[in-house]
Amino acid sequence: MASPSSSYESHFEHSALFEFSTVINSSLDLRFILGHILLTLMGKLLSSRGAAVLRHSDGSYHVEMVKGLPADVVGRSLVMRSVPRGLQYTERVNVGRQPWAKFFDDLGLEILLPLRSGSGPIGVLAFGKRVTKTHLAARETTYLKSLANISATAIDKCHTIEELKLVNRRLDRKIQELNTLFDLGREFGAVLDPDKLVRLLVFSLMGQIGVHRYLICLRDGIDMRIAASRVDGAVPQAELLTLLTKVKNPVTVQEMIVTTAKDPRPALESLGLHAIVPMELQGQTRGVILLGEKLNRERFSAADFEFLSALGSLAIISLENARLFKEAIEKQRMEDELLIARDIQKGLLPSELPSLPGIDIAAANFSSKQVGGDYYDVIPMDDHRYIIAIGDVSGKGTPAALLMANIQATIRALVPLKLPLGELTARVNDLMCQNTGGDKFVTFFWGALDYQTLTLHYVNAGHNHPYVLRADGSVERLDKGGMILGVMATMIPYEEGEVMLCEGDILVLFTDGVSEAMNSASQEYGEERLEAMIRKAGGWGAQALIEVIHEDIQRHAAGAPQSDDITMMVVRIVTRA
Amino acid sequence: MSEFKIAQREQESVHVLELKGYLDAHTAPTLEEAFQSLLKNQRFNIVVNCKDLSYISSAGLGVFMAYIEDVRKNKGDIKLSNMSPKVYNVFDLLGFPLLYEITRDEQEAVKKFSPAK
Repeated sequence: MASPSSSYESHFEHSALFEFSTVINSSLDLRFILGHILLTLMGKLLSSRGAAVLRHSDGSYHVEMVKGLPADVVGRSLVMRSVPRGLQYTERVNVGRQPWAKFFDDLGLEILLPLRSGSGPIGVLAFGKRVTKTHLAARETTYLKSLANISATAIDKCHTIEELKLVNRRLDRKIQELNTLFDLGREFGAVLDPDKLVRLLVFSLMGQIGVHRYLICLRDGIDMRIAASRVDGAVPQAELLTLLTKVKNPVTVQEMIVTTAKDPRPALESLGLHAIVPMELQGQTRGVILLGEKLNRERFSAADFEFLSALGSLAIISLENARLFKEAIEKQRMEDELLIARDIQKGLLPSELPSLPGIDIAAANFSSKQVGGDYYDVIPMDDHRYIIAIGDVSGKGTPAALLMANIQATIRALVPLKLPLGELTARVNDLMCQNTGGDKFVTFFWGALDYQTLTLHYVNAGHNHPYVLRADGSVERLDKGGMILGVMATMIPYEEGEVMLCEGDILVLFTDGVSEAMNSASQEYGEERLEAMIRKAGGWGAQALIEVIHEDIQRHAAGAPQSDDITMMVVRIVTRA
Repeated sequence: MSEFKIAQREQESVHVLELKGYLDAHTAPTLEEAFQSLLKNQRFNIVVNCKDLSYISSAGLGVFMAYIEDVRKNKGDIKLSNMSPKVYNVFDLLGFPLLYEITRDEQEAVKKFSPAK
């Protein structure tokens, strides 16, 4: 049975508890709450000193606030493997088993009041000797326990809210990271200039991660090339960069596992670089991002690396796209150029050959994809002679086509001079040497065919020896002449050859695109096979012979693309005029 | 798309940049150009007024990072003012208040240049 006075006391205690609870639950400020708790309990205990020790998420205990004790006690940490279950006096704790008791003892904190929440101990409130020097009565102990419970709940709530704030902030950061990726993704898609792409990447790195030092390397074939850098000291050497391509995952320089003979870490550290993030594309390291210390001096976290990897992938894909785009344009440009070359070449070759009395003449040029510099021509010299010519200019494409045009103009200008062919050849050679500087050359064969006498005066300047297949089946090769054109000024005169042709004889001129036509096994068509074809189809017309040989070459090549033009001219003596 | 403009003026030997609109990867080069020309003209006391800046992305922040060292090497500074809470939140989130002085209004930032000089 409670006495009237205890009933009054009980009422007082209840309203005090209620007020205490209202005050500390009205705030989310941990400092305010702890202050109120300490002062209330010190008042209740009649003690002149108090300390609040709270457990951190890592399990360690830290002094959060003190009253009546030196301020430097705040922040001190202690290890508490176990915390008393209820109110405890420091002197009763076994210091041998609980070394932390000494900490409280040294500060004159004698009464320990554990704080517990549903999940376990969250701290300890400690107080100095009571002014009355009496021990606590059972009723007082119960009351203190109630205060401790209310305090624990309030502190716990505070912690939860702090944690939520932290989670919220982390979430905000994640959103910011995603915004950055989105922002860059959108912009990267619209930019095709690699330098601008790299600069945007650098800005985003500096802004998002907060770094001042960086080095962006991109792979250029086998080598690594520096695309952008701001480092301490001199820019690193290629050797160091190559070592970095071995890095497969984002890593801090400190934690880098060195698998190469040379350790790149000291060099990186001296450059002020702390982290490496490879930029991968289809499992290949195509670039590396190196970063210096973060603005807040924190270590690079797993989340940082996750973001950096995503950013790196985004950047490398865009850079690769920019490269491919440039390549496509370049390819288009080259194809356009080849079309021009082909046009020039087609424009130079006679669209129709003149008809010579008693002579069946045909020619064809099958140009390769790259357009070689093959050339043939039939030019009237006087009333009974025609010049027949075939040539192969070194090189391909437009330069070869232009040189070919040059030669055609030269010989067409020189032919009317009616000089001996050897002398004309020397002049063509000298002109060419003056104009090309000796880095281009032409294999050239030409002959003056007299269709009345059926004699052919010719000069062969390093060209594939033309065939003369006699009506009796014997073969002659036209090899008299001299040096190929364009290499050096004429020192030795060009020798002039002469052949008498008869009815039924066939003259076959060709370029090396014929004899060297390759199949996919890199086997050449060869002169033997060519000669065999000429013999086999010798009785046919000039045009038919060309077609037969061309078909045979195609059979040989079996679809393999040809790198050189295929050019032939066939002259058949039909009847004496 | 995103619109971004910079107005510039000179106030008591301090160069003030007023940013307006969206500062993101697309518009960052505009701010970069502004800083480049300030440095070229030896203007190292810079206040960036963010009153009308409605958005800033990491690429935008990166531009500030890219120039702060050069500016401070020349005994100048880049100070920022008049940020909206939304813009400030981005600066804060990425830890920029550690590196940059951010003031409530432009005058306060301008004044910070004068006593030392």
